[in-house]
Amino acid sequence: MGNSVKIGVFITVLFRCYICQAQSDSITKLPDSHFKLKLSSNSSVIYPGISTGIEIPVHYIKEPELIRKSEKRAFFKTRFVSANLSWYHHPEFHDNLYFTVEWIMRRIRSGGFTSEFSGGPGYSRTYLAGTTYTVNESGDISVIKNAGYNYALVTIGGGLGYDFSVKRKIPVSVFSKINMLSMFPYNSTIYFRPVLEIGIRYAPVCANGIRRKGSVLYPK
Amino acid sequence: MKIIYFTILLLLLSGCQKEVITFSTKASDVFYVENAGASMRVLVEGNTASNTFILVIHGGPGAGSFVYNTNYISQNLEDKCAMVYWDQRNAGASQGSANSNNLQLSQMVDDLTKVIKVLKYRYGQNMSLFLLGHSFGGLISAAFVTRSEDQIMIKGLINVDGSHNYPLNDSLTRQMLLTFGLRQGLYSKKAQKWEKIIQYCLRHTGNFTLEESQQLETYAIKAESYVDSIDKIDLIGTVLSHSITDKSPLTSILVNLLYSEDSDFNKELLVANYSGSLSAVTIPVLVLWGKYDFICPPALGEDFFYRISSKDKKMVISPVSGHNLILQDEKLFCYEVSAFVKKYK
Repeated sequence: MGNSVKIGVFITVLFRCYICQAQSDSITKLPDSHFKLKLSSNSSVIYPGISTGIEIPVHYIKEPELIRKSEKRAFFKTRFVSANLSWYHHPEFHDNLYFTVEWIMRRIRSGGFTSEFSGGPGYSRTYLAGTTYTVNESGDISVIKNAGYNYALVTIGGGLGYDFSVKRKIPVSVFSKINMLSMFPYNSTIYFRPVLEIGIRYAPVCANGIRRKGSVLYPK
Repeated sequence: MKIIYFTILLLLLSGCQKEVITFSTKASDVFYVENAGASMRVLVEGNTASNTFILVIHGGPGAGSFVYNTNYISQNLEDKCAMVYWDQRNAGASQGSANSNNLQLSQMVDDLTKVIKVLKYRYGQNMSLFLLGHSFGGLISAAFVTRSEDQIMIKGLINVDGSHNYPLNDSLTRQMLLTFGLRQGLYSKKAQKWEKIIQYCLRHTGNFTLEESQQLETYAIKAESYVDSIDKIDLIGTVLSHSITDKSPLTSILVNLLYSEDSDFNKELLVANYSGSLSAVTIPVLVLWGKYDFICPPALGEDFFYRISSKDKKMVISPVSGHNLILQDEKLFCYEVSAFVKKYK
């Protein structure tokens, strides 16, 4: 082992604690198994829909939050990657089944209230809400089964919620969120669709695969 | 849980395209006709048991058919016959992907032919079918009825403020704006606004470009709002107020309208002219026009009326209407259409 390597190992051991401490205070990777499952209604005004998904945490940042002039509490900025399968039903127009991958930026207050913004690409398959006929050159008429279109999709959204794991140690959060879907090429242009999600998120396992008694997802 | 959810989802998806054909006095069937990259929504509403159908060819291009489906028409026309609200390609609730290359007049006439074939396939080959073209829909219906092989598919034509000749339409709009502006507009409360319109018309005298044509249309819309004698209507309000009952896809209606209004298709329309071939029209025709229609002036209706060869023809002018007679004078509209359909079905 060369001298430079020995010095390197010595310095690493010497500063190991400082490095670890620094990470736990500012940026820490959450265990991969701290994923969350999501189930929500996915309506657009009066039309029904449903959305399911999984959120995988990428990292969180703990930051001080100014409560009063001299009082500070910690809050968390978390980042997730999520995969969602969603559907809505617009009678006489179409059913839309779409898959999205989103980057979520979520802020969790010390009291448990959350706010978030998200965005990402996706794929949409629509199914026309009515029998669809086609007429060939000879004038013969036939019905097209599962008529509809494939679209590229981009979604952006924002919402509010409450995370019960912060105060009550229940691994569940509730949320409401408005997403704006943009689908293209829709008749050679872009189709916009606002949808409102109201649902719950649930974290089924912790780092070792078993939920610890009284464990919290966001360390203080 | 997930298995149950996906099973329900699959059932819903398979159920939403089930063929529904209703013969009753209060039918409401929705189906789609796919043609050349567009799936066009067709709503059949009213008395399908009467075996009499009126196919509405809406204005625009791109305006959609939702605006015509009013409560008054439901109560006073749909009890006697079935109204067929067809959303043309790139309009209303019609859907598709990259299909801009097919946004052409000849394609739309082909679409209309196929919609009629599907209608007859669903409700019977012996149905009494009438076409009702409004504004831009008047151009599509003119293109359709001047083809003898297509004319025999229908019992009659109703032309409401329709444009069969765009170059003539622009000239007549300019002429009407100028004449009305100089005789009445300058002496009204809106004199300053009329002055601007008159100056524009004096500077632009003919052979109109697309920009000039669009500017004339903009002034025609404004002029209609300056005339006190016209029953004012709120088109956007009408669509919004019915959006829940009609299940209107509002954003689709909006993006389709914006796209169609701004598309290159309008360059093709600038020179569209069917005056020369109208003599081929021999079926019964009803022409309804608004006295204060600056967008498609009454003189355009007269050109249409006198050129067709039909022996059974009638022209009625509404004294309280502008370009949207169907909504501005619903009583006259329903009365005249009912009488026409009853006579020739």
